[in-house]
Amino acid sequence: MADSKFVFLENNTEELEVARPSLTYWQDAWRRLKKHKLAMIGVVVIILVLLFGLVGPMLTPYSYSDQSNDYRNLPPIIEVFEVEEGINLHLSKDYNMFVVANNGELTEKLSLNRAKRDVINKIYYYDLKNGEEIKLDFSYNLLKDKQGYDYDFTIEYKGIEYKYPTGNKFNRSFPFGTDDLGRDILTRVMYGARISLLIAFVATLVNLFIGVIYGSISGYEGGRLDEVMMRIVDIINSVPLTLYVILLMVWFRKSDGLTNIIIALSTVYWVSIARLVRGQMLSIKEQEFVLAAQIIGVPKRKIIARHLIPNAMGPIIVSMAMMIPGAIFTEAFLSFIGLGVSAPQASWGTLANNALPGLVTYPYQLFFPAMAIAITILAFNFLGDGLRDALDPRLRKG
Amino acid sequence: MGSYYLRRIISAVMTIVLIATLTFAMMHSIPGGPFVREKAVPDEILKALNEKYNLDAPLYIQYLDYMKGLITFDLGPSYSKIGTSVNDLLEAGFPTSAKIGGMASLLIILIGIPLGIISALKQNKPIDYIVMFMATLGVTVPSFVVATLIIYFFGGKLGWIPTFGLDTWRGYIGPVIALSGYSLSFVSRLTRSSMLEVLRQDYIRTARANGLSEFKVIAKHAVKNALIPVVTYIGPMVAAIMTGSFVIEKIFAVPGMGRYFIESIGNRDYTTIMGMTVFYAIFYIIMILLVDVAYSLIDPRIKLGKE
Amino acid sequence: MSKILEIKDLNTSFFTHMGEVKAVRGNSFSMEKGDILGIVGESGSGKSVTALSIMGLIEHPGRIKSGQVIFNGEVISNKSNKEMSNIRGSEISMIFQDPMTSLNPVYTIENLMTEVIIRHQKVSKSEAKRIAIEKLRMVGIPEPEKRISSYPHEFSGGMRQRAMIATALSCNPKLLIADEPTTALDVTIQAQILEILRRLANDLDTSIIIITHDLGVIAETCQNLIVMYGGMIMEQGTVDEIFHSPQHPYTLGLMNSIPKVHKKDKSRLLPIPGSPPDLMNPPKGCPFCPRCKYAMEICKEQMAPRYRIGNTHTSACWLLDAQAPDVEGFKKGCDIDG
Repeated sequence: MADSKFVFLENNTEELEVARPSLTYWQDAWRRLKKHKLAMIGVVVIILVLLFGLVGPMLTPYSYSDQSNDYRNLPPIIEVFEVEEGINLHLSKDYNMFVVANNGELTEKLSLNRAKRDVINKIYYYDLKNGEEIKLDFSYNLLKDKQGYDYDFTIEYKGIEYKYPTGNKFNRSFPFGTDDLGRDILTRVMYGARISLLIAFVATLVNLFIGVIYGSISGYEGGRLDEVMMRIVDIINSVPLTLYVILLMVWFRKSDGLTNIIIALSTVYWVSIARLVRGQMLSIKEQEFVLAAQIIGVPKRKIIARHLIPNAMGPIIVSMAMMIPGAIFTEAFLSFIGLGVSAPQASWGTLANNALPGLVTYPYQLFFPAMAIAITILAFNFLGDGLRDALDPRLRKG
Repeated sequence: MGSYYLRRIISAVMTIVLIATLTFAMMHSIPGGPFVREKAVPDEILKALNEKYNLDAPLYIQYLDYMKGLITFDLGPSYSKIGTSVNDLLEAGFPTSAKIGGMASLLIILIGIPLGIISALKQNKPIDYIVMFMATLGVTVPSFVVATLIIYFFGGKLGWIPTFGLDTWRGYIGPVIALSGYSLSFVSRLTRSSMLEVLRQDYIRTARANGLSEFKVIAKHAVKNALIPVVTYIGPMVAAIMTGSFVIEKIFAVPGMGRYFIESIGNRDYTTIMGMTVFYAIFYIIMILLVDVAYSLIDPRIKLGKE
Repeated sequence: MSKILEIKDLNTSFFTHMGEVKAVRGNSFSMEKGDILGIVGESGSGKSVTALSIMGLIEHPGRIKSGQVIFNGEVISNKSNKEMSNIRGSEISMIFQDPMTSLNPVYTIENLMTEVIIRHQKVSKSEAKRIAIEKLRMVGIPEPEKRISSYPHEFSGGMRQRAMIATALSCNPKLLIADEPTTALDVTIQAQILEILRRLANDLDTSIIIITHDLGVIAETCQNLIVMYGGMIMEQGTVDEIFHSPQHPYTLGLMNSIPKVHKKDKSRLLPIPGSPPDLMNPPKGCPFCPRCKYAMEICKEQMAPRYRIGNTHTSACWLLDAQAPDVEGFKKGCDIDG
């Protein structure tokens, strides 16, 4: 072993004190949130949903209220009969015949030849632009069970009879299909995102505002006032809140549904936040920096706003992230029982509600709004979980 | 001890009075009264109706009458179903709702809690992932979607269960599953996270260090503590489920309380709305009271605390 | 005297998704029957993990990678969890730092104690209760017949720690491991608890390991001492040896960082600069090297062997090598142990 190795290192410990950069609470939280994979997926999905709702409607050629009798109840994936190169025919469930381009675009609705139609034998004729004629025989529809046909109708073009669709195409014109009034479901789901998220965000913010103010006053003042304020919270807490939202909605009845639903949701769900903030206040106000601020005469309002609330922000943000999906749920539920936004405005809940009667025939009308709700709630849940792990000091490793 | 429960009961009664008052005030402050429709109702008919239902009396008299009725549990006549009282509607609807709700509650407790415990014990193992995946789906997909999917596939496509009504036992399957879906998922998630939290506690390590068998550590020391937050959730949940889900009863066409409630909203049947609200609130508050009792049985610290 | 406990080349690691955390690295030590051994070190030094390794309580994702724990002449480190549970609480007991959280809040003291007694001694319920009351009296709980039916939250912190000790001693274990038994308690209570431990070790012939970061506790209670840092044993010896002539810069640092009332000179407390090593990627050489003011080139490259200073005193520091430069207080030129 060489002697030179037994020589003191110079300045070995000099820079140790600054060796590890100290992170602020928020930097640390952000660092941990970034590590939480599901939470980051949640963030990305939420951003996508926001873009979907805000930018999306500008990109579609339809508006949420555009109705069209010609294009009712068209599914997102359409069965076509390719009768000639480039000519695909689609028969909708309403017995409208369409010409579909190879890329899936609906180029034309064929007109029914009223003079030649035979209602008794259930035979219709449609005229094609190239002068050809299409014969539709849908009498099988009724005979189906009796005589063992496994198709509903046949199409005859240039003497050839087609019993089964030759293929499926994605609907280019209406990617999510259309509803019973011929409105584009994609556009409506996009507008629904706006309404649902608007309601959720505004209601959450108002609840947050009320809850934080109520909770911080109660917690900071303490004593008799705190007791009375918490008693009120206890009472509100033992009231079934969903029921009260419903009663409020009944009470508001007359005016615009969107405003009502926001007011109703905004006024009842602040209780849990108030409790949370009060608890935080109680523990934070005992700390030295608050005492210091009190001693140098900082006014109460400023102490609460500048010192107490920022320090309680972690748990507040977590419960906010959990409240938003709750609000989306409640809104969807209210719309579903017919107390939501009024037509033609549409939230995801009303879209789902509207899809109910035709569910068996047109399941896609329910599928897309339901998916939108589920994906958004899932994303917020992921984000909320991640935020809780990142922000909740109780779970921080000592 | 006794005074603790007495205090709870007094505050519960006060809450019920408050809710009844609030509901009364809300229903009576709706402009136009219950018989104003889009189509104009002739004045004399309106007057006769108001007279019949005592709506021309001063408000405080009506209020006192209503509260008097409440004490004897007489919720008054329905405004829209002539000759029917709100009590009749409750008697017709509640047993049905309670039957479905009771079955759903049992399902939630008997399946949700064990699933949560198993999932926590097998954390990060395949079974945990499967259970949590299902549970996450369960809390993200709205119940009306679950209900319609059940009808669509099991009722329509496969024909295993009827799509509406409760004529056979099969009729109960759909509503019970749809009704329990969300809470079942929620309870298993809650049990799991509560269980994981408890398993990290020092007293679990103490129990292990004292040589107790793994089964005893889990069954005696972990589960009881882990159930505390679950009980808090289950109480109000049972109340909500037993009094009928508006959504599920609407979709499955079940003649329960929830359906009458929706109908009464549509018909502006204010006495029914009021009556059902108060009934639900009473039920809910009783359940919360029961939770408090259960709580103090599980957690001895509660008796000492000031609530 | 025979050895009650012998640890041979113990390695315990936690396999997290970020990588392997080597919490204990190649530790060996032994203790005699009736001994009170102190293990001192800052948090993350591996002292608690050592204790849990002895108990067989290392939880997933951790496990003992290699090495042996020999208790009373029998290798216990390869026993199954079920076999170990027969030993835990009866032969080896453990008490923990925070008496507030270490007792299950939903059961009475009676329930918690008798369950352990019945588990290991196969006695009737009433007999178990009698034993429990007796042990509670031994640890100085007044009116144990009455207090035994209390819930933990009805006890003060000191009382709870006494109840913990009573439970741990209920089956007359041969070895008691106390992990920071007094850290969460008031100073006056601390002294009482330590006194109880010392007295019981004597009366019941129980050997005790006290794990702490508080040298005061060690000085008051223990006969022998192990100083741990970064998952490794830095120095071991009797308390007298180490307190009078510490032979490791880390031990020296520890001593300088606690206040001494009787010390004449008014020198300031000297904290050890820096923070403990990252056990995910421990330094190749001595773990204390980056914070050591006597660090040499060799310290960075290679962990020092154990130098034997006296019969019972060893230290793993290159300063004790014959080739090392002279430093006041360090006995240069010791032999390498084993």
